[in-house]
Amino acid sequence: MVKKIFLSIKAILKGHFAVLKHLFRQPVTMEYPEVHPFLSPYFRGRHVLEGCRGCGLCKRVCPSDAIIIEKNDNHYVNKYVIDYSKCIFCGNCMFYCPTHSMKMSGNYELAKTRKSDLLTDIYFKGV
Amino acid sequence: MNYLLCTLFEIKWLPDIWAVILVSVIGFGVVISLLILTVLFLVLAERKLLGFFTQRKGPNRVGLWGVLQTTADAIKLLCKENIELLSSDKFIFTIAPIMAFASVILLWCLIPYNSEFHLINSSVGVLLYFAIASLPMIFHFLAGYSSNNKYSLIGSYRSLGLTCSYSIVLMLSVMSVILVSGTMDLDKIVLFQSKTWMIFSNVLGFLIFFIATLAKLNRCPFDLSEAESEIVCGYHTEYSGMRFAMFFLGEYAELFVMSMLVVILFFGGYLPPFGMYLANAFMGNCEFCSYLIYFEQTIWLFIKTLIIVFVIIWIRATLPRLTQVSTLNMFWKYIIPISIFNLIMIIMMRALW
Repeated sequence: MVKKIFLSIKAILKGHFAVLKHLFRQPVTMEYPEVHPFLSPYFRGRHVLEGCRGCGLCKRVCPSDAIIIEKNDNHYVNKYVIDYSKCIFCGNCMFYCPTHSMKMSGNYELAKTRKSDLLTDIYFKGV
Repeated sequence: MNYLLCTLFEIKWLPDIWAVILVSVIGFGVVISLLILTVLFLVLAERKLLGFFTQRKGPNRVGLWGVLQTTADAIKLLCKENIELLSSDKFIFTIAPIMAFASVILLWCLIPYNSEFHLINSSVGVLLYFAIASLPMIFHFLAGYSSNNKYSLIGSYRSLGLTCSYSIVLMLSVMSVILVSGTMDLDKIVLFQSKTWMIFSNVLGFLIFFIATLAKLNRCPFDLSEAESEIVCGYHTEYSGMRFAMFFLGEYAELFVMSMLVVILFFGGYLPPFGMYLANAFMGNCEFCSYLIYFEQTIWLFIKTLIIVFVIIWIRATLPRLTQVSTLNMFWKYIIPISIFNLIMIIMMRALW
């Protein structure tokens, strides 16, 4: 009985000091709009396209059918549109690209006020 | 207070009765402004500390480091609408928060802040304190009863049940203090501790008193009368605006004044911990020092109180809430026998010495 009481008091005190240790630790809170989190180099954010030749492999492997490629009369890429309302950021387009022209950047702030704005043309037209 | 009264008596054109009234009004104003400031500070301190204990930052948007957060909250509460249910008892519903807050203010007037400033100086100060300290509980019950809400009523009943358990323990441990010091005057209890603090002669009494204090303040682990996760907010579920603010601020004012009482009974009140005033130690005995000492006494009282408040917040950050049954079990089966044992020990010590 007495031993039980002592053990419980010991347990309570142990808990108290475990909590007290946390008082001196750095808070894990991130004040987001002012401070941006550290991202891994493999982070899959907004797509960046450079030097695409329009083979259309990415369109074929896309699981959610979010890529729309528009070509002009000379079979060059005219518009490369990604529908961000459909995109799941799986990275398949980047993985399968034969010319390594598709990259995914660390830009994750993609919120828009209208749904039509989410259809984004990402084709880099060259210099 | 006496000094101020004497200077006012010397003014010829002022009648004596007006001098007495003026002194009490000034004293009351000082106490009220102290109360509001400390309560605003306490709410912020609790939120900040709980944040740090859980590795968050706490409020940090309003003002520098969130200093003005509680002020903004208070202003927001003042501007809000007072919502009343059609089925509630209007008169009791309105008067309960006012009376609960008023009784807490009265508690603040009983405390000796320094050797001069003691607003209600009674020879039975401890008794008076606990007589008034039992009032907020009654008004909490009335608030829950009149608001015609099941959660409020459950909260009020829990608060009543808790009162049955802690008040006996509280009085028994205070009795041990009174027996050691031989007086009920708060001022004399403080001066009795000028050599050694009461806690060294009455450790068990202090522990029991502290646990009972936690129960009295509805703090963790005994906050079952306003358990947010079980019964929305306990007795003040139906309150909003200024009336809610009165309950909320009254609760924190009671927390502070109860911690001050713990300090006065066990940690030497306004006396400095080294047996010597810092003002005297640094500046010697001068005319100016004798005035400075009063401020120093108040500062010592507040520092000791803030340490007690820190411990209470620390306990809140650590311990989970007890159920009603286990609370009553703990108080009636363990703590009351221990406190009676402590009282008998104290009586024996008094008889032998």
